Amino acid sequence: MSAPPREAIQKQIQQDWANREYIEVITVSIKKITDFLNSFDMSCRSKLAVLNEKLTTLERKIDYLEACVTKGETLT
Amino acid sequence: MSATDRVSLTDALSNVDVLDELPLPDEQPCIEAQPCSVVYQANFDTNFEDRNGFVTGIAKYIEEATVHASLNELLDEGQEHAVMLYTWRCCSRAIPQPKSNEQPNRVEIYEKTVEVLAPEVNKLLNFMYFQRKAIERFSQEVKRLCHTEKRKDFVSEAYLLTLGKFINMFAVLDELKNMKSSVKNDYSTYRRAAQFLKVMSDSQTLQESQNLSMFLATQNKIRDTVKENLEKINGYEELLADVVNICVHMFETKMYLTPSEKHMLVKVMGFGLFLMDSELCNINKLDQKKKLRLDRIDRIFKNLEVVPLFGDMQIAPFNYIKRSKHFDPSKWPLSNSNTPSPQADLMVHLPQIREDHVKYISELARYSNEVTTTYKESGSDTENRETAELALRGLQLLSEWTSVVTELYSWKLLHPTDHHQNKECPAEAEEYERATRYNYTEEEKFALIEVIAMIKGLQVLMARMETVFTDAIRRNIYAELQDFVQVNLREPLRKAIKNKKDLIRSIIMSVRETCADWQRGVEPLQDPALKGKKDPDNGFAIKVPRRNVGPSSTQLYMVRTMLESLIADKSGGKRTLRKDIDGQYLVLIDQFHKTSFYWGYLLNFSESLQNCCDLSQLWYREFYLEMTMGRRINKCTVRHHHNEECNDLVTMEKRIQFPIDMSMPWILTDHILKTKEPSMMEYVLYPLDLYNDSALYALTIFRKQFLYDEVEAEVNLCFDQFVYKLSEQIFAYYKQLAASIFLDKRFRVECAALGAYLLPYPRANRYETLLKQRHVQLLGRSIDLNKLITQRINADMQKSLDLAISKFEAGDITGVMELEGLLEVNRLCHKLLSKWLALDDFDSMFREANHNVLAPYGRITLHVFWELNYDFLPNYVYNAATNRFTKYKGHIVFTPTVHRDKPPQMSHHYLWGTKPLNMAYTTQYAQYSGFVGLHHFHAMCKLLGYQGIAVVMEELLKIVKSLVQGNLLQFTKTLMEAMPKVCKLPRYDYGSPGVLSYYHAQLNDIVQYPDARTELFHNFREFGNTILFCLLMEQALSQEEVCDLLQAAPFQNILPRPYCKEGEKPETKQKRLESKYSALQIVPNIEKLGTAKQAMISREGDLLTRERLCCGLSVFEVVLNRLRSFLDDPVWVGPPPANGVMNVDECTEFHRLWSALQFVYCIPVGETEYTVEELFGEGLHWAGCTMIVLLGQQRRFEALDFCYHILRVQRVDMKDQVVKGISLKRMVDRIRRFQVLNSQIFAILNKFLKSGENDEMSVEHVRCFPPPLHPSLTPQQHYHAPEHLRQAMII
Repeated sequence: MSAPPREAIQKQIQQDWANREYIEVITVSIKKITDFLNSFDMSCRSKLAVLNEKLTTLERKIDYLEACVTKGETLT
Repeated sequence: MSATDRVSLTDALSNVDVLDELPLPDEQPCIEAQPCSVVYQANFDTNFEDRNGFVTGIAKYIEEATVHASLNELLDEGQEHAVMLYTWRCCSRAIPQPKSNEQPNRVEIYEKTVEVLAPEVNKLLNFMYFQRKAIERFSQEVKRLCHTEKRKDFVSEAYLLTLGKFINMFAVLDELKNMKSSVKNDYSTYRRAAQFLKVMSDSQTLQESQNLSMFLATQNKIRDTVKENLEKINGYEELLADVVNICVHMFETKMYLTPSEKHMLVKVMGFGLFLMDSELCNINKLDQKKKLRLDRIDRIFKNLEVVPLFGDMQIAPFNYIKRSKHFDPSKWPLSNSNTPSPQADLMVHLPQIREDHVKYISELARYSNEVTTTYKESGSDTENRETAELALRGLQLLSEWTSVVTELYSWKLLHPTDHHQNKECPAEAEEYERATRYNYTEEEKFALIEVIAMIKGLQVLMARMETVFTDAIRRNIYAELQDFVQVNLREPLRKAIKNKKDLIRSIIMSVRETCADWQRGVEPLQDPALKGKKDPDNGFAIKVPRRNVGPSSTQLYMVRTMLESLIADKSGGKRTLRKDIDGQYLVLIDQFHKTSFYWGYLLNFSESLQNCCDLSQLWYREFYLEMTMGRRINKCTVRHHHNEECNDLVTMEKRIQFPIDMSMPWILTDHILKTKEPSMMEYVLYPLDLYNDSALYALTIFRKQFLYDEVEAEVNLCFDQFVYKLSEQIFAYYKQLAASIFLDKRFRVECAALGAYLLPYPRANRYETLLKQRHVQLLGRSIDLNKLITQRINADMQKSLDLAISKFEAGDITGVMELEGLLEVNRLCHKLLSKWLALDDFDSMFREANHNVLAPYGRITLHVFWELNYDFLPNYVYNAATNRFTKYKGHIVFTPTVHRDKPPQMSHHYLWGTKPLNMAYTTQYAQYSGFVGLHHFHAMCKLLGYQGIAVVMEELLKIVKSLVQGNLLQFTKTLMEAMPKVCKLPRYDYGSPGVLSYYHAQLNDIVQYPDARTELFHNFREFGNTILFCLLMEQALSQEEVCDLLQAAPFQNILPRPYCKEGEKPETKQKRLESKYSALQIVPNIEKLGTAKQAMISREGDLLTRERLCCGLSVFEVVLNRLRSFLDDPVWVGPPPANGVMNVDECTEFHRLWSALQFVYCIPVGETEYTVEELFGEGLHWAGCTMIVLLGQQRRFEALDFCYHILRVQRVDMKDQVVKGISLKRMVDRIRRFQVLNSQIFAILNKFLKSGENDEMSVEHVRCFPPPLHPSLTPQQHYHAPEHLRQAMII
């Protein structure tokens, strides 16, 4: 085997490593974005649940008050 | 940003990095398995597709890679067929069969049958062809490798392992085919239909159908064919021995990662040995020749008696050996013995698992803290290596624990219990139930839960650190690989070049060229090693670069296989290559080869992590479903000696799935709920996660909609159950806690002292963590557990209040005490729960339960009134000495017996929490049930409130009005007739017996009047009780109000007068106090901070509180005035006195009648008779006195009363004798007592009546009569005390 092709192959292999490293960087970033989305999801669900709870409480309170002030007929 | 804008890579990457810095708090503690909505797994496995890129590799291994690629494809296909067989559900059972040949629609039925089954049958055909092809291919490979020349050459580890996988695949497919009778049934149904319709006309199709039919019908067909084919190959046993040996080697050195790989190795050993043992070959002899090590395999088979085959199918690998031709039990001492396998006992593994878990978790926590607190671009080589090792160790631990769980489960499936071993297992329990539900002890279930929790918990922790781990893993692998290739291999290379070992040189050069990533892009040409020369004295520096990437899968395979060939025991030639390499480098290469085995797993970290924690198979039960044939057999369940007849009673129940009670995930979840074990409570979501595993498996591996649907259906059912049971026990727990807190401490101490029964506080349970869960991931849904529990507990709370009131409604007025207690406990329970749950306002809930939201009066008010009216007023007897009412105990029935609703049936947690607590409280409140006293009035005050009290009194007044103007008036009119017209006060000279006999004679008609002592007095008692009720309510109310005022005082700037030393000014001290507590004062604060409207409201509220007692509003006074207005009939006062001043002897006014009645009830009764006090209590006197006072006849009554007169006379002469059967002394005693009582009553009444009047005003009403002047008297009437004079005038 002559020298130039060998060198070329070695360069190609190096190029391959570089390319794969690049792909890896992108993959890792996508993974990070995924992780972010997941924790964002969790965090939002947690907050929305709290908000929902508050709204439900208010709704129930309104229902109760509505029942208190009406005399059998609904306010609508 | 518009779509056309370009973002540079650096910007994009820094954008991603910034994401990390966003705080995303999640406020719930993580007690569930990895919750993620999005899963990202990059797969870089090319299955050797890129092999041609590595032209510098040794050609032989590139060829081998090609073979590998196609073998892997076959293995994948085999997996698909296995899934097809395993998930096969019988179709023919659902297809209608023509009952006779005459049936008109049979052609249609057959046509439809063929149409429906054709695609399924096609799968079976493909399966048959596939197994044929796979066996052929396998035999070819074996044949090629068994060629005499080839035998001398080295066969790579990867190659042998792939052959092992084939052997495993054949074993699995064969067992699946044997097991699935429904496949055979479906095919014969299809065939019958097809033959009828003559679909298979050509001979080829017919032959094919015949073949398939034979293939399906022949048991062990695949195994036998493989064996048959192999036996034709010369020396195949040696190759198989290599395969078995590599499996033993890998098993013993733990060269596997996932549990399924581990089990695969064991299965290959068993099935491999079975295939080897034949006419031509005896494995025992191979053992003797040391070509096999049966003793080692024996130990492995004992430690792992049962391995999962596929899904819920299990296999005991030793059974293959037993079935082989030359089975020699003496060679298998361990496997053949009856001692239990360690696999069957989870408890022996548990301490080690716990220890490993704690150790690993702490290490991980330390590392995780380090990573999160310190920022580093990339760690040093050592750090990266340590992190990668940590990751690998974690994966191995997870895999080990998962193995323990699955192996126990497998063993249990193969060793079902029965009613002899487990007393709880009914004799008629079905097979699957005996394998799951009754097959685990309590301890085992807890241990299983714990291990599952450890697996799932650690999985979460490791997944969170995935990016950190993978970063370190890639850097570490890159560094180790490049260091090894560029630096470590230099020496062997130098030596090979120097010694002209061309083969070694070319292999090493190949390795270097396949994967070296040179600093300058090319090999340093001036490297002396390349020329076989020594390095210069100062060394030859090679700078190895660093990257954040691992080798590709093919690259890794090439490097490992080529290096393996260097150190293998075999090579193509006579001499192994090992001999030409120095020992130290052999060790290095060997070490590298071993370490790099795990690189593939580490580089696919995410996938490996998931595979190591996969417990999906705990749910699948296709094997057992197949066995039950879609039916449940109900045997005769009558308890008797079963006989022939019982067999006729066997009934079939159609069923396509097992109930949740037999399902492992639910068994474990339910176990925690049932035992309420506090240490396990936080694990309760982990067993539920098994459904996630199973569902994921159904979607991604089985790819069967119906399986997913079944998992989903079960989850729906289980989760409902879960929430139901959990909320019930949470509510019960908090109720019990509240009731325990509320229980009197001294009562508790005394109970303990007596040892009667202990009432411990409930064991602290960790429901809080569960209550904080707001997003639980289950089958891709996010569930707000807190919300679901809140809904249920809200309802429970409501029901609890409702039942408390219902209980009150079912009892008499004394129940008001227990009602108040119950409401207080519920209030406390509500308060404790409200810390975690957003429950409705307690007061609104109470009003709703009390039906008091829309209606002005609640159930409590109505029942109190009802009880007052029907039970309290007519049946209770008041006694001022004890200040209580007691129930009338006499025999005379005045009112019909009271009928009440039956008390509602309710479980303990709706009442006081538990049975012992219910008993304790019932005993306590029983103390209040015999009487109505101060406590009850306080309770009523609190429960009724102002509005309720007003309503009750209003209604009572109405009753009194009808009483006064009805019965009483009627009686009065009648009795007035019977009264003597004139009844004088007899002179002292007659003596007391004379006076008594005078009155007795005068009042004889009244004394003899039959209804006086019964009906009339009863009516007066009702009247009196009403008055007393109002009075006592007023007293209780006042006390409550005083408490209110005192409590409100600090907020209203009412401070106690400060203590002042001499010389101190009270004003300044007062000022200082006021400013000190100014923050408490409501009105000024709200005026300062609130809106005008709020300020106004607070001012008014303040005013209301202040004024409540100050202006001396009195309910009782109003009541009295109202009563006065009822007495409007002239009969009460009679005609005006004839003398224009007052009646003295005439009996026209009410007080005269009362005097007569007083005479009646003062007559002492005999021993056996009930006295008036016992019968009617002091209500009677209250009624009489009140009427007298209200009619303004008090003075005349006191002056002219008959009994008082007897008393006065008797006081003087002190005589005692029996007059007309009446003992004078006893009579006088009674009179004295009642006189005192009457004066007390008058005093109280006058206090209330006079409170609003000024003295001057009353003076105005006085008519002044000049004293009659007697000429014999001096003008000075010194013996008349002026106040006496005035008293006389007021009368």
